[in-house]
Amino acid sequence: MTKRMWMALISLAGLFLGVYLTMYKFGIIGSLACNVGSCEQVQTSRWSVFLGLPVATWGVGFYVLMLALAIAGLQPRFMDSRRLSLAMLLLTGWGVVFTAWLNYLEAFVIHAWCEWCLGSAGMVLVLFVLALMDWRETKQIDEEVAA
Amino acid sequence: MVKASKKTSTSNRAFYLIIAAIAIGGIAALTYASTKSNEIVNASPVDTTLPAVKSEGYVMGSPTAPLEVIEFGDFECPQCGRFATLTEPDVRKNLVNAGKIRLRYIDFPLPMHPHTWNASRAAACADAQGKFWEMHDALFANQDRWDGAATNNPDKVLKQLGDQIVPDKSKFEQCIDSKEMQAKVQAHWKLAEARHVNGTPTFVIGDQQIGQSLTYDQFKQLVDSAIAKSGKTAPPASGDTAKSTTVGGKKGDTKKGQ
Repeated sequence: MTKRMWMALISLAGLFLGVYLTMYKFGIIGSLACNVGSCEQVQTSRWSVFLGLPVATWGVGFYVLMLALAIAGLQPRFMDSRRLSLAMLLLTGWGVVFTAWLNYLEAFVIHAWCEWCLGSAGMVLVLFVLALMDWRETKQIDEEVAA
Repeated sequence: MVKASKKTSTSNRAFYLIIAAIAIGGIAALTYASTKSNEIVNASPVDTTLPAVKSEGYVMGSPTAPLEVIEFGDFECPQCGRFATLTEPDVRKNLVNAGKIRLRYIDFPLPMHPHTWNASRAAACADAQGKFWEMHDALFANQDRWDGAATNNPDKVLKQLGDQIVPDKSKFEQCIDSKEMQAKVQAHWKLAEARHVNGTPTFVIGDQQIGQSLTYDQFKQLVDSAIAKSGKTAPPASGDTAKSTTVGGKKGDTKKGQ
């Protein structure tokens, strides 16, 4: 399994997590399964909406984009593409910054934790590390080809 | 070369198999979650030895409706907020306004919510000017502006909300400052305690007490079942036939078709 394959798998899992929380926000799911923390307190707080859309829905968009990029990166045409690698690195980098802000809000403003949000934050962090490794690999390939 | 190609092909096949497995598992999990979470799990028969709910709370709907539904609610509780903003508009439109039920709201401020008493008092102050339900809706819709996480001065925000609703602003603000509605909210809280309510929202629908938020479908199912058990007939759903009243026979406003 390549790094991009792992990224696609993690993105797909994250996508379902985002859809689950979005369904809750829109009232399709009555209550959240939450063994640790206070998911509903976090999900109903004022910070669960960003620019008019639930944060979970932004997460769905993020994971769809990541999944599309990772799958595209598996095709022979983009296999060694440094641009695609950079796009994934920038996207996951933004994801890390955004989830760090969300975690800060949970810890210091809302004073409640949502296990699903923490799971998503973990996935975004792993995606970032994989994207960074992938970017370094494509950079190395480029340098070898140039040499 | 052939070996490497075979290895890649096997790896690809394994990858797409795992992708398919995650996709199927994810869809199955979401389907299960959406059906499972809609099950009513916290319903129990109403204890008939408990004190009756008569004149307490705030009432919306026709006095002649075949069924009265009671909600014990907390203005700072997120699940009550979800019920008020997602489910209640349909409940009012299809059940209260159609004369099928009368809805009674009773405060049950929970100790973990620091500003819920302020909100209950503000709602009672709005009720004094015949605007309880408008205030009720504004409180739940703006929960994140005045709750414990948002501010240390809830009364300031509650006044801002109420000032847009009540006809006499200064009377409303004075009512909040003087805390004159404390006894009324306390009476509601005592009633809820006496009836062994231990969380919010808690609904009493017919002979069932349900300690969880409900979707519209669940709510309607319970209402239909309670009306059928009572032997009373619900009026045909012919639109807005219901009148709205508040405690003490004061006339309020019925929210229509939100």
